[in-house]
Amino acid sequence: MAESCAAWLLVLSAVFLCNLCKILLPSFSSLVSRLLQEDAEQEYEMRSDIQTMRQELSNISMMDEFAKYARLERKINKMTDKLKTHVKSRTAQLSKIKWVISIVFYVLQAALMVSLIWKYYSEPVTVLPSKWIAPLERLVAFPTGIAGGVGITCWLVVCNKVVAIMLYPIS
Amino acid sequence: MASPAVPGEPGNGAAMSASQRRAEIRRRKLMSNSEERMNRIMGIHKPGNSDELRFERLDKSDSLSLSSLTKRSDILSGDGGLSAEHHCSSVDGKEPYIGDKMDFLKNADVRDDSNGVRNRTDVNSEPTSRGLDEYLSRFDEAMKLRNQLNSEKPSADNGNGVDELDSFRIFRLVGSALLAFAVRMFVCKYLSIFAPFLTLQLAFMGLSKYFPKGEKKVKTTVLTAALLLSGIPSELINRSLDTYSKMADVFTDLCVYLFTFIFCHELLLYFGSEIP
Repeated sequence: MAESCAAWLLVLSAVFLCNLCKILLPSFSSLVSRLLQEDAEQEYEMRSDIQTMRQELSNISMMDEFAKYARLERKINKMTDKLKTHVKSRTAQLSKIKWVISIVFYVLQAALMVSLIWKYYSEPVTVLPSKWIAPLERLVAFPTGIAGGVGITCWLVVCNKVVAIMLYPIS
Repeated sequence: MASPAVPGEPGNGAAMSASQRRAEIRRRKLMSNSEERMNRIMGIHKPGNSDELRFERLDKSDSLSLSSLTKRSDILSGDGGLSAEHHCSSVDGKEPYIGDKMDFLKNADVRDDSNGVRNRTDVNSEPTSRGLDEYLSRFDEAMKLRNQLNSEKPSADNGNGVDELDSFRIFRLVGSALLAFAVRMFVCKYLSIFAPFLTLQLAFMGLSKYFPKGEKKVKTTVLTAALLLSGIPSELINRSLDTYSKMADVFTDLCVYLFTFIFCHELLLYFGSEIP
Protein backbone atom coordinates (compact mmCIF):
# COMPACT_ATOMS: atom_id res chain seq x y z
CA MET A 1 0.00 0.00 0.00
CA ALA A 2 2.77 2.39 0.98
CA GLU A 3 4.64 1.54 -2.21
CA SER A 4 1.59 2.25 -4.32
CA CYS A 5 1.11 5.53 -2.49
CA ALA A 6 4.72 6.42 -3.19
CA ALA A 7 4.34 5.62 -6.88
CA TRP A 8 1.65 8.13 -7.75
CA LEU A 9 3.29 10.76 -5.59
CA LEU A 10 6.70 10.08 -7.12
CA VAL A 11 5.39 10.50 -10.65
CA LEU A 12 3.50 13.63 -9.68
CA SER A 13 6.59 15.13 -8.06
CA ALA A 14 8.74 14.29 -11.07
CA VAL A 15 6.31 15.93 -13.45
CA PHE A 16 5.98 18.97 -11.20
CA LEU A 17 9.74 19.38 -10.95
CA CYS A 18 10.20 19.02 -14.69
CA ASN A 19 7.59 21.65 -15.42
CA LEU A 20 9.00 23.99 -12.82
CA CYS A 21 12.49 23.60 -14.24
CA LYS A 22 11.17 24.28 -17.71
CA ILE A 23 9.70 27.56 -16.53
CA LEU A 24 12.85 28.54 -14.68
CA LEU A 25 15.17 27.41 -17.46
CA PRO A 26 15.67 30.81 -19.17
CA SER A 27 16.56 32.61 -15.96
CA PHE A 28 18.77 29.72 -14.86
CA SER A 29 20.67 29.68 -18.13
CA SER A 30 21.22 33.45 -18.02
CA LEU A 31 22.51 33.09 -14.45
CA VAL A 32 24.92 30.35 -15.48
CA SER A 33 26.14 32.33 -18.46
CA ARG A 34 26.71 35.35 -16.21
CA LEU A 35 28.77 33.20 -13.87
CA LEU A 36 30.77 31.66 -16.68
CA GLN A 37 31.49 34.87 -18.52
CA GLU A 38 33.93 37.12 -16.76
CA ASP A 39 34.41 39.40 -19.73
CA ALA A 40 31.40 41.49 -18.81
CA GLU A 41 33.54 43.49 -16.43
CA GLN A 42 36.06 44.26 -19.14
CA GLU A 43 33.29 45.19 -21.49
CA TYR A 44 31.87 47.61 -18.94
CA GLU A 45 35.30 49.21 -18.57
CA MET A 46 35.60 49.63 -22.31
CA ARG A 47 32.18 51.24 -22.48
CA SER A 48 33.04 53.72 -19.75
CA ASP A 49 36.36 54.49 -21.47
CA ILE A 50 34.58 55.24 -24.71
CA GLN A 51 32.13 57.44 -22.87
CA THR A 52 34.97 59.39 -21.24
CA MET A 53 36.80 59.81 -24.51
CA ARG A 54 33.67 61.04 -26.22
CA GLN A 55 33.21 63.63 -23.54
CA GLU A 56 36.81 64.66 -23.99
CA LEU A 57 36.31 64.87 -27.73
CA SER A 58 33.36 67.19 -27.33
CA ASN A 59 35.58 69.57 -25.36
CA ILE A 60 38.23 69.73 -28.08
CA SER A 61 37.79 72.23 -30.87
CA MET A 62 38.18 70.51 -34.20
CA MET A 63 39.50 73.59 -35.98
CA ASP A 64 42.01 74.70 -33.36
CA GLU A 65 43.41 71.29 -32.40
CA PHE A 66 42.70 69.13 -35.39
CA ALA A 67 45.53 66.66 -34.85
CA LYS A 68 44.53 65.96 -31.30
CA TYR A 69 40.91 65.71 -32.31
CA ALA A 70 41.64 63.23 -35.11
CA ARG A 71 43.88 61.14 -32.91
CA LEU A 72 41.24 60.87 -30.24
CA GLU A 73 38.55 60.12 -32.76
CA ARG A 74 40.65 57.33 -34.24
CA LYS A 75 41.16 55.95 -30.77
CA ILE A 76 37.42 56.01 -30.10
CA ASN A 77 36.71 54.26 -33.38
CA LYS A 78 39.26 51.61 -32.67
CA MET A 79 37.89 50.95 -29.22
CA THR A 80 34.31 50.87 -30.50
CA ASP A 81 35.29 48.28 -33.08
CA LYS A 82 36.97 46.23 -30.41
CA LEU A 83 33.92 46.47 -28.21
CA LYS A 84 31.68 45.40 -31.08
CA THR A 85 33.77 42.32 -31.73
CA HIS A 86 33.81 41.56 -28.06
CA VAL A 87 30.04 41.86 -27.72
CA LYS A 88 29.50 39.73 -30.80
CA SER A 89 31.66 36.92 -29.50
CA ARG A 90 30.08 37.14 -26.06
CA THR A 91 26.58 36.95 -27.53
CA ALA A 92 27.53 33.91 -29.56
CA GLN A 93 28.95 32.27 -26.47
CA LEU A 94 25.84 33.15 -24.49
CA SER A 95 23.51 31.56 -27.01
CA LYS A 96 25.72 28.49 -27.09
CA ILE A 97 25.56 28.15 -23.31
CA LYS A 98 21.78 28.54 -23.35
CA TRP A 99 21.48 25.95 -26.07
CA VAL A 100 23.64 23.47 -24.19
CA ILE A 101 21.69 23.99 -20.96
CA SER A 102 18.34 23.45 -22.64
CA ILE A 103 19.61 20.36 -24.44
CA VAL A 104 20.93 18.92 -21.19
CA PHE A 105 17.63 19.66 -19.49
CA TYR A 106 15.56 17.98 -22.19
CA VAL A 107 17.81 14.95 -22.22
CA LEU A 108 17.52 14.62 -18.44
CA GLN A 109 13.76 15.05 -18.60
CA ALA A 110 13.45 12.40 -21.28
CA ALA A 111 15.65 10.04 -19.27
CA LEU A 112 13.55 10.59 -16.17
CA MET A 113 10.30 9.93 -18.03
CA VAL A 114 11.65 6.84 -19.72
CA SER A 115 12.90 5.47 -16.41
CA LEU A 116 9.53 6.13 -14.77
CA ILE A 117 7.70 4.39 -17.59
CA TRP A 118 10.21 1.54 -17.42
CA LYS A 119 9.71 1.16 -13.67
CA TYR A 120 5.92 1.31 -13.70
CA TYR A 121 5.36 -0.48 -16.97
CA SER A 122 3.82 -3.57 -15.44
CA GLU A 123 2.56 -2.28 -12.12
CA PRO A 124 -0.05 0.43 -11.68
CA VAL A 125 0.78 3.65 -9.88
CA THR A 126 -2.40 3.31 -7.87
CA VAL A 127 -5.38 0.99 -7.77
CA LEU A 128 -9.07 1.85 -7.71
CA PRO A 129 -12.04 -0.52 -7.61
CA SER A 130 -12.50 -1.48 -11.27
CA LYS A 131 -16.23 -0.75 -11.37
CA TRP A 132 -15.56 2.87 -10.42
CA ILE A 133 -13.75 3.59 -13.63
CA ALA A 134 -15.86 1.43 -15.94
CA PRO A 135 -16.08 1.42 -18.94
CA LEU A 136 -12.63 2.95 -19.40
CA GLU A 137 -10.77 0.69 -16.97
CA ARG A 138 -8.69 -0.86 -19.76
CA LEU A 139 -7.66 2.52 -21.10
CA VAL A 140 -6.83 3.90 -17.67
CA ALA A 141 -4.88 0.77 -16.74
CA PHE A 142 -2.76 0.75 -19.91
CA PRO A 143 -0.08 -0.72 -20.15
CA THR A 144 -0.42 -2.74 -16.93
CA GLY A 145 -3.59 -4.60 -17.91
CA ILE A 146 -4.66 -4.80 -14.27
CA ALA A 147 -8.35 -4.05 -13.93
CA GLY A 148 -8.87 -0.98 -11.78
CA GLY A 149 -5.22 0.02 -11.86
CA VAL A 150 -4.08 3.43 -13.02
CA GLY A 151 -1.30 3.00 -15.57
CA ILE A 152 1.79 5.17 -15.83
CA THR A 153 0.84 6.67 -19.21
CA CYS A 154 -2.56 7.82 -18.06
CA TRP A 155 -1.17 9.20 -14.83
CA LEU A 156 1.65 11.03 -16.64
CA VAL A 157 -0.80 12.67 -19.01
CA VAL A 158 -3.12 13.69 -16.19
CA CYS A 159 -0.28 15.01 -14.06
CA ASN A 160 1.22 16.97 -16.94
CA LYS A 161 -2.07 18.65 -17.69
CA VAL A 162 -2.86 19.50 -14.08
CA VAL A 163 0.64 20.74 -13.29
CA ALA A 164 0.62 22.91 -16.42
CA ILE A 165 -2.65 24.48 -15.27
CA MET A 166 -1.30 24.97 -11.77
CA LEU A 167 1.90 26.59 -12.99
CA TYR A 168 0.19 28.70 -15.64
CA PRO A 169 0.04 31.87 -13.46
CA ILE A 170 3.80 31.88 -12.90
CA SER A 171 4.80 30.88 -16.42
CA MET B 1 0.70 58.07 -71.81
CA ALA B 2 -1.52 60.84 -73.14
CA SER B 3 -2.79 60.08 -76.59
CA PRO B 4 -3.50 63.01 -78.88
CA ALA B 5 -7.09 63.78 -79.77
CA VAL B 6 -7.38 61.92 -83.01
CA PRO B 7 -10.46 60.99 -84.91
CA GLY B 8 -9.74 57.35 -84.15
CA GLU B 9 -10.65 57.71 -80.47
CA PRO B 10 -12.88 54.79 -79.42
CA GLY B 11 -15.71 57.07 -78.42
CA ASN B 12 -16.36 58.22 -82.00
CA GLY B 13 -15.12 55.06 -83.67
CA ALA B 14 -18.38 54.64 -85.59
CA ALA B 15 -17.93 57.99 -87.33
CA MET B 16 -14.54 57.01 -88.81
CA SER B 17 -13.96 55.86 -92.28
CA ALA B 18 -12.47 52.40 -92.89
CA SER B 19 -8.99 53.75 -93.75
CA GLN B 20 -8.91 55.99 -90.71
CA ARG B 21 -9.96 53.08 -88.56
CA ARG B 22 -7.20 50.89 -89.97
CA ALA B 23 -4.64 53.65 -89.41
CA GLU B 24 -5.79 54.07 -85.87
CA ILE B 25 -5.58 50.32 -85.21
CA ARG B 26 -2.07 50.25 -86.66
CA ARG B 27 -1.04 53.17 -84.51
CA ARG B 28 -2.41 51.57 -81.36
CA LYS B 29 -0.75 48.27 -82.16
CA LEU B 30 2.60 49.99 -82.57
CA MET B 31 2.11 51.81 -79.32
CA SER B 32 1.11 48.68 -77.45
CA ASN B 33 4.10 46.80 -78.88
CA SER B 34 6.48 49.45 -77.70
CA GLU B 35 4.79 49.46 -74.33
CA GLU B 36 5.21 45.71 -74.10
CA ARG B 37 8.86 45.96 -75.03
CA MET B 38 9.41 48.57 -72.37
CA ASN B 39 7.73 46.35 -69.79
CA ARG B 40 9.93 43.48 -70.81
CA ILE B 41 13.02 45.62 -70.37
CA MET B 42 11.82 46.78 -66.98
CA GLY B 43 11.06 43.18 -66.01
CA ILE B 44 7.40 43.81 -65.26
CA HIS B 45 5.90 42.21 -68.28
CA LYS B 46 2.65 40.43 -67.44
CA PRO B 47 -0.21 39.18 -69.60
CA GLY B 48 -3.24 41.44 -69.48
CA ASN B 49 -5.61 38.80 -68.14
CA SER B 50 -3.64 38.28 -64.97
CA ASP B 51 -3.62 42.04 -64.45
CA GLU B 52 -7.37 42.02 -64.53
CA LEU B 53 -7.38 39.16 -62.08
CA ARG B 54 -5.09 41.03 -59.79
CA PHE B 55 -7.42 43.99 -59.84
CA GLU B 56 -10.33 41.72 -59.07
CA ARG B 57 -8.44 40.32 -56.13
CA LEU B 58 -7.76 43.78 -54.85
CA ASP B 59 -11.48 44.44 -55.01
CA LYS B 60 -12.29 41.38 -52.96
CA SER B 61 -9.66 41.53 -50.29
CA ASP B 62 -9.36 44.79 -48.41
CA SER B 63 -6.61 43.89 -46.03
CA LEU B 64 -2.94 43.04 -45.67
CA SER B 65 -2.58 41.17 -48.87
CA LEU B 66 -2.80 44.44 -50.73
CA SER B 67 0.79 45.32 -50.00
CA SER B 68 2.59 43.19 -52.53
CA LEU B 69 -0.13 43.11 -55.13
CA THR B 70 -0.79 46.82 -54.94
CA LYS B 71 2.85 47.59 -55.48
CA ARG B 72 2.84 45.39 -58.50
CA SER B 73 -0.34 46.82 -59.93
CA ASP B 74 0.83 50.35 -59.16
CA ILE B 75 3.85 49.70 -61.26
CA LEU B 76 1.75 48.16 -63.95
CA SER B 77 -1.05 50.65 -64.00
CA GLY B 78 0.40 53.92 -62.78
CA ASP B 79 -2.78 55.80 -63.59
CA GLY B 80 -6.02 55.06 -65.34
CA GLY B 81 -4.75 55.91 -68.77
CA LEU B 82 -1.81 53.61 -68.54
CA SER B 83 -3.92 50.75 -67.30
CA ALA B 84 -6.22 51.22 -70.24
CA GLU B 85 -3.26 50.88 -72.52
CA HIS B 86 -2.33 47.68 -70.77
CA HIS B 87 -5.71 46.23 -71.42
CA CYS B 88 -5.29 47.30 -74.98
CA SER B 89 -2.00 45.47 -75.18
CA SER B 90 -3.61 42.33 -73.79
CA VAL B 91 -5.73 41.94 -76.87
CA ASP B 92 -2.75 42.37 -79.09
CA GLY B 93 -3.30 40.62 -82.37
CA LYS B 94 -7.07 40.89 -82.32
CA GLU B 95 -7.43 44.15 -84.20
CA PRO B 96 -11.17 44.07 -84.85
CA TYR B 97 -11.86 44.03 -81.13
CA ILE B 98 -9.59 46.87 -80.11
CA GLY B 99 -12.15 49.56 -80.62
CA ASP B 100 -14.81 47.58 -78.80
CA LYS B 101 -12.43 46.87 -75.98
CA MET B 102 -11.62 50.53 -75.62
CA ASP B 103 -15.33 51.33 -75.60
CA PHE B 104 -15.86 48.72 -72.99
CA LEU B 105 -13.08 50.17 -70.90
CA LYS B 106 -14.55 53.60 -71.18
CA ASN B 107 -17.99 52.50 -70.14
CA ALA B 108 -16.89 50.03 -67.51
CA ASP B 109 -17.50 50.83 -63.93
CA VAL B 110 -14.14 52.15 -62.89
CA ARG B 111 -13.73 53.18 -59.32
CA ASP B 112 -11.05 54.08 -56.86
CA ASP B 113 -10.61 52.02 -53.74
CA SER B 114 -9.11 53.22 -50.50
CA ASN B 115 -5.59 52.75 -51.77
CA GLY B 116 -6.12 54.81 -54.83
CA VAL B 117 -5.80 51.83 -57.11
CA ARG B 118 -8.19 51.82 -59.99
CA ASN B 119 -10.26 48.68 -60.04
CA ARG B 120 -12.69 47.35 -62.54
CA THR B 121 -15.67 45.56 -61.08
CA ASP B 122 -17.24 43.91 -64.04
CA VAL B 123 -14.75 41.71 -65.81
CA ASN B 124 -15.87 38.57 -67.56
CA SER B 125 -14.03 35.75 -65.81
CA GLU B 126 -13.07 32.77 -67.88
CA PRO B 127 -12.98 29.26 -66.48
CA THR B 128 -9.20 29.13 -66.68
CA SER B 129 -8.74 32.46 -64.98
CA ARG B 130 -11.18 31.47 -62.24
CA GLY B 131 -8.82 28.74 -61.09
CA LEU B 132 -5.97 31.20 -60.92
CA ASP B 133 -8.20 33.63 -59.08
CA GLU B 134 -9.12 30.98 -56.54
CA TYR B 135 -5.50 30.14 -56.07
CA LEU B 136 -4.66 33.82 -55.57
CA SER B 137 -7.44 34.21 -53.01
CA ARG B 138 -6.18 31.18 -51.12
CA PHE B 139 -2.69 32.53 -51.28
CA ASP B 140 -3.88 35.84 -49.85
CA GLU B 141 -5.64 34.06 -47.01
CA ALA B 142 -2.52 32.05 -46.29
CA MET B 143 -0.46 35.23 -46.24
CA LYS B 144 -2.90 36.77 -43.79
CA LEU B 145 -2.63 33.71 -41.61
CA ARG B 146 1.12 33.82 -41.78
CA ASN B 147 1.12 37.43 -40.63
CA GLN B 148 -1.21 36.55 -37.77
CA LEU B 149 1.02 33.66 -36.87
CA ASN B 150 4.08 35.88 -36.79
CA SER B 151 2.36 38.39 -34.56
CA GLU B 152 1.12 35.71 -32.18
CA LYS B 153 4.31 33.73 -31.98
CA PRO B 154 5.84 35.30 -28.84
CA SER B 155 2.75 34.82 -26.68
CA ALA B 156 1.77 31.40 -27.92
CA ASP B 157 3.32 28.08 -27.04
CA ASN B 158 3.94 27.89 -23.36
CA GLY B 159 4.96 24.27 -23.50
CA ASN B 160 1.92 22.28 -22.46
CA GLY B 161 -0.72 23.82 -24.64
CA VAL B 162 -2.62 25.56 -21.85
CA ASP B 163 -4.74 28.28 -23.37
CA GLU B 164 -5.62 31.55 -21.74
CA LEU B 165 -7.68 30.98 -18.61
CA ASP B 166 -10.89 32.98 -18.97
CA SER B 167 -13.68 33.03 -16.40
CA PHE B 168 -15.59 30.16 -17.97
CA ARG B 169 -12.54 27.95 -18.11
CA ILE B 170 -11.75 28.62 -14.47
CA PHE B 171 -15.37 27.86 -13.64
CA ARG B 172 -15.14 24.59 -15.54
CA LEU B 173 -11.93 23.55 -13.80
CA VAL B 174 -13.24 24.40 -10.34
CA GLY B 175 -16.53 22.64 -11.13
CA SER B 176 -14.71 19.51 -12.27
CA ALA B 177 -12.53 19.45 -9.16
CA LEU B 178 -15.51 19.97 -6.84
CA LEU B 179 -17.51 17.29 -8.62
CA ALA B 180 -14.62 14.84 -8.31
CA PHE B 181 -14.47 15.51 -4.60
CA ALA B 182 -18.22 15.05 -4.22
CA VAL B 183 -18.20 11.90 -6.33
CA ARG B 184 -15.41 10.38 -4.28
CA MET B 185 -17.31 11.15 -1.10
CA PHE B 186 -20.81 10.06 -2.01
CA VAL B 187 -21.41 8.66 -5.47
CA CYS B 188 -18.59 6.34 -6.57
CA LYS B 189 -19.92 3.39 -4.55
CA TYR B 190 -23.03 3.29 -6.67
CA LEU B 191 -21.99 4.07 -10.22
CA SER B 192 -19.05 4.77 -12.52
CA ILE B 193 -17.23 8.04 -11.92
CA PHE B 194 -17.59 9.01 -15.57
CA ALA B 195 -21.37 9.28 -15.45
CA PRO B 196 -21.41 12.40 -13.24
CA PHE B 197 -18.59 13.83 -15.34
CA LEU B 198 -20.61 13.50 -18.53
CA THR B 199 -23.59 15.12 -16.83
CA LEU B 200 -21.36 17.97 -15.77
CA GLN B 201 -20.14 18.44 -19.33
CA LEU B 202 -23.74 18.65 -20.54
CA ALA B 203 -24.39 21.27 -17.89
CA PHE B 204 -21.33 23.23 -19.04
CA MET B 205 -22.59 23.17 -22.60
CA GLY B 206 -25.82 24.77 -21.46
CA LEU B 207 -24.12 27.22 -19.14
CA SER B 208 -21.63 28.43 -21.74
CA LYS B 209 -24.32 30.75 -23.14
CA TYR B 210 -24.50 32.72 -19.91
CA PHE B 211 -20.79 33.47 -19.77
CA PRO B 212 -19.37 36.49 -21.52
CA LYS B 213 -17.66 35.39 -24.67
CA GLY B 214 -14.39 37.20 -24.91
CA GLU B 215 -12.81 37.81 -28.28
CA LYS B 216 -11.71 34.40 -29.33
CA LYS B 217 -8.24 34.58 -30.72
CA VAL B 218 -8.06 32.70 -33.95
CA LYS B 219 -5.18 30.33 -33.44
CA THR B 220 -3.31 30.01 -36.64
CA THR B 221 -0.72 27.44 -37.27
CA VAL B 222 1.31 26.30 -40.20
CA LEU B 223 -1.14 23.41 -40.46
CA THR B 224 -4.04 25.83 -40.87
CA ALA B 225 -2.21 27.70 -43.57
CA ALA B 226 -1.36 24.45 -45.32
CA LEU B 227 -5.00 23.31 -45.19
CA LEU B 228 -6.10 26.65 -46.60
CA LEU B 229 -3.64 26.39 -49.43
CA SER B 230 -4.78 22.87 -50.19
CA GLY B 231 -8.23 24.19 -50.96
CA ILE B 232 -10.26 23.47 -47.83
CA PRO B 233 -12.59 26.43 -47.17
CA SER B 234 -11.60 28.62 -44.25
CA GLU B 235 -15.08 28.32 -42.75
CA LEU B 236 -14.70 24.57 -42.48
CA ILE B 237 -11.25 24.92 -40.96
CA ASN B 238 -12.56 27.42 -38.41
CA ARG B 239 -15.42 25.12 -37.49
CA SER B 240 -13.14 22.13 -37.05
CA LEU B 241 -10.74 24.24 -35.00
CA ASP B 242 -13.65 25.25 -32.80
CA THR B 243 -14.63 21.61 -32.32
CA TYR B 244 -11.04 20.74 -31.60
CA SER B 245 -10.77 23.43 -28.93
CA LYS B 246 -14.01 22.17 -27.32
CA MET B 247 -12.60 18.66 -27.24
CA ALA B 248 -9.41 19.99 -25.70
CA ASP B 249 -11.48 21.73 -23.02
CA VAL B 250 -13.33 18.51 -22.23
CA PHE B 251 -10.04 16.62 -22.06
CA THR B 252 -8.59 19.19 -19.66
CA ASP B 253 -11.69 18.89 -17.48
CA LEU B 254 -11.37 15.12 -17.53
CA CYS B 255 -7.74 15.33 -16.46
CA VAL B 256 -8.56 17.66 -13.58
CA TYR B 257 -11.50 15.50 -12.59
CA LEU B 258 -9.48 12.28 -12.61
CA PHE B 259 -6.58 13.88 -10.79
CA THR B 260 -8.77 15.31 -8.04
CA PHE B 261 -10.60 12.04 -7.70
CA ILE B 262 -7.43 9.96 -7.36
CA PHE B 263 -5.84 12.54 -5.08
CA CYS B 264 -8.87 12.50 -2.75
CA HIS B 265 -8.96 8.74 -2.88
CA GLU B 266 -5.30 8.44 -1.95
CA LEU B 267 -5.65 10.95 0.86
CA LEU B 268 -8.61 9.07 2.26
CA LEU B 269 -6.67 5.83 2.03
CA TYR B 270 -3.64 7.38 3.67
CA PHE B 271 -5.56 8.73 6.61
CA GLY B 272 -7.34 5.40 6.84
CA SER B 273 -10.86 6.73 7.03
CA GLU B 274 -12.11 4.46 4.33
CA ILE B 275 -11.06 1.19 2.81
CA PRO B 276 -12.46 0.43 -0.64
